[in-house]
Amino acid sequence: MVPSEIANAHANMGTTDLIEALSRQPLAHASAQAVLSALSLVAPGACLQFLLDHEIDVIGAVSTRELSKIICTAMRSFTEDDAERRGYASEIMRHFLDVLSAEAAVDTLGALGIDLGPSGEAALERLLERFPDEPALLRIAIRVAQGRNDSTRLETLLTRLGLADNTPGTVAFAYRLRQLTVSAAPATVRVALVSSYTIDSLAAYVDLACRTIGVVPELYVAPFNSWAPEIIDEASGLRRFAPDIVFLSVSIDDLVPQLMQHPSAEALKTSGDAALERILTVVESFTRWAEGTPLVIHSFYSAFTGPLGILESRELISRSGWLAGLNARLTEALRTLPACYLLDVAEAVTTGGGMLADNPKLRHIASMRLPPQSLRSVAETYVRYVAPLKGLTKKCVVLDLDNTIWGGLVGEDGKEGIRLGNSSPGSEFVEFQEFLSSLSARGLLLAINSKNNPDDALDVIRTHEAMVLRESAFSAIRINWKPKPENMIAIAEELNIGVDSLVFVDDNPDEREQMRQLLPEVLTVELPKDPALYRSTIEKLPQLQTLSRTSEDRTRTQQYQTARLRERTKLSANSIDEYLRSLEIEVKIATATKTVFPRVAQLFARTNQFNLTTHRYDVGEIQRFVDDPSLRLWTLTSKDRFGDHGLVAVTLVRVASASWDIDSFLMSCRVIGYGIESTLLAYVTEQARAAGATALVGEFIETKKNAPANNFYARHGFRAVRALGSVQRWKLSLTTVVPFPAWVKVDAHDA
Amino acid sequence: MTPEVLVARVFGRNPSEIGELTSPETLPEWDSLGHVTLIIELESAYDVSFSPEETMTMTSVGAIKQALQSRGAQW
Repeated sequence: MVPSEIANAHANMGTTDLIEALSRQPLAHASAQAVLSALSLVAPGACLQFLLDHEIDVIGAVSTRELSKIICTAMRSFTEDDAERRGYASEIMRHFLDVLSAEAAVDTLGALGIDLGPSGEAALERLLERFPDEPALLRIAIRVAQGRNDSTRLETLLTRLGLADNTPGTVAFAYRLRQLTVSAAPATVRVALVSSYTIDSLAAYVDLACRTIGVVPELYVAPFNSWAPEIIDEASGLRRFAPDIVFLSVSIDDLVPQLMQHPSAEALKTSGDAALERILTVVESFTRWAEGTPLVIHSFYSAFTGPLGILESRELISRSGWLAGLNARLTEALRTLPACYLLDVAEAVTTGGGMLADNPKLRHIASMRLPPQSLRSVAETYVRYVAPLKGLTKKCVVLDLDNTIWGGLVGEDGKEGIRLGNSSPGSEFVEFQEFLSSLSARGLLLAINSKNNPDDALDVIRTHEAMVLRESAFSAIRINWKPKPENMIAIAEELNIGVDSLVFVDDNPDEREQMRQLLPEVLTVELPKDPALYRSTIEKLPQLQTLSRTSEDRTRTQQYQTARLRERTKLSANSIDEYLRSLEIEVKIATATKTVFPRVAQLFARTNQFNLTTHRYDVGEIQRFVDDPSLRLWTLTSKDRFGDHGLVAVTLVRVASASWDIDSFLMSCRVIGYGIESTLLAYVTEQARAAGATALVGEFIETKKNAPANNFYARHGFRAVRALGSVQRWKLSLTTVVPFPAWVKVDAHDA
Repeated sequence: MTPEVLVARVFGRNPSEIGELTSPETLPEWDSLGHVTLIIELESAYDVSFSPEETMTMTSVGAIKQALQSRGAQW
């Protein structure tokens, strides 16, 4: 019976009669609860008073669901938002807080009015612990934070609200509120959206998606349909904004308005060529002034199908064939330009669960094209470019075994019993493994962190016929019964990377929770329950994206494996010196040339540990350094008898005065401990002396991560001249000689 | 959900601040982008589809309720 029917059934009874009726039967009885429901409608105050008077009986006899419904109804049935209602609300909060449903809690809190008061706020906190994703509660908490001017809390809550309720209204509200309040955290990335159509509503979603990966964006939305002048004109808003990354979406329907008609094949070809030329002219202008700033361009998508319907495919130039050809040519042209990326808009929309790339109605009434249901998907795709730009790319994916890369438990089901093969259940895991295996092409490593008997697990890895990931695919392996966070630290140490460079993939929510608690810097992936979704979940992770690929990336797994070999040699060598000699290290030092700029930029962007100043420079800046006669930029490549490390160290030195000044000195942490850094420094001092300089100065700027570089200057005879906060300044008089390590063979060929 | 509550939600106001006369003139958040967002939310909440002419006239909560009623929506 719905409350209104109950009320009708008791319509002829007054409040006193109803309360009388309640006292005649046990509360647990359904009819007593029906009376309570009726009372909540006609006399909410009396109803709530009854609940409060009989608190113990009520909690014992009435289900929490039923009780919540009664309280909800009562709260909504007060005819005025008066003091009586507020009084009851605060009493209900005090007595029934932990049994209320989210809905009843929201109604009761709502009845407290704008100012919840201290007890109301405490109640809100407790409720948020029980219902962390309840939008209505989050909205109340936001109001409270707003009233208190607590901008840090407000920002967290707005992100939570946007994630809990992803509708356009809520996301736009969160974005608007952020812009109205003083930000607690300064922006860390400047993102520009430039388009031929209205894209303003996307900004709110991009803001939200950035914040979910911990990046605070400053957004610029270029004025409607001014994409070309915004990019070309030196005085444009976009140029003044100085973006870190630009997303450009130009609709082919805007470039070729004839598409809604039925142009001839010839006209289609001509206008397609013209459209392509137009966009490429603008893009080329961008790459000239933006110097390596990434530009992400939406692929062409048309809202219109060809005039012949299903017959189109029989045409010499079909509409879809024409469009595909145009996109292929656009891709090819962009590949030759620095830092330009094509974003497949159809893929962006569908991978995030969106549906369409065009909404006819909104196109007509608001010049919008992307449908509201697809905005989140597109924004999440954007963030896959923002994450690597901000250096958030992780270095190693650490995997659990049972129910993560195969189905079942090998310890219980045995090697033959686990689910792994070409039919389901089992094919899901093969598909997942194939994807994980492909990650090495991006320069990412794999490792194992699993609670198993090592023999059982290794037997599967080595001999199960359907395993894709064999032992050699993993750069570190921890199969034991230790707590997983402990293994995680060991893996980071073995690979010589930070714990914050690790991604943890485990099907077990308890293990994930423990990892989040103990090692929050590890990215712990919320893996869905269904193994069929494992692959797409990891595929979408922004933190596994890279913006450039170098030959070092392609062979990184191999390099770490040879590092493992090297490690073994280390243990058997009699002395450090003998060990180092046995490695037969050879380095090449040279002035940076164009072909290595991407790798140099990557080192500047990614090196955290052995980095003396942690200045970040991009390809454009590197080009300017090399062109500037007052600067020298040297690179060092190294190899040893186990393998080629590639380009691993860079230094940027100001050489204009008698005192040379080291601006940057950094080295990949893969090669720490081989004297390679000493070799490069010895080389720089030698060059300085040869050029007639008298001193070499350099700074060490302390960060959370660069402890390995901490005593570098002291170690090589530099004197501390000044220390200001985290910045220390060091100086070496060039009468002192920095020796080249005897075990490193140096090949310097420099102009 | 009543139209008032929905309008309040979209613009981040308290439902008590929203009345029949609430309009783009009284609510600064209700700009052209806000209007489109509101239409999208109304269409999805009440499972209706407004004509372009209607969307142009729905510039107060009262007008919105009228438009909803004329399409048989209930709350």
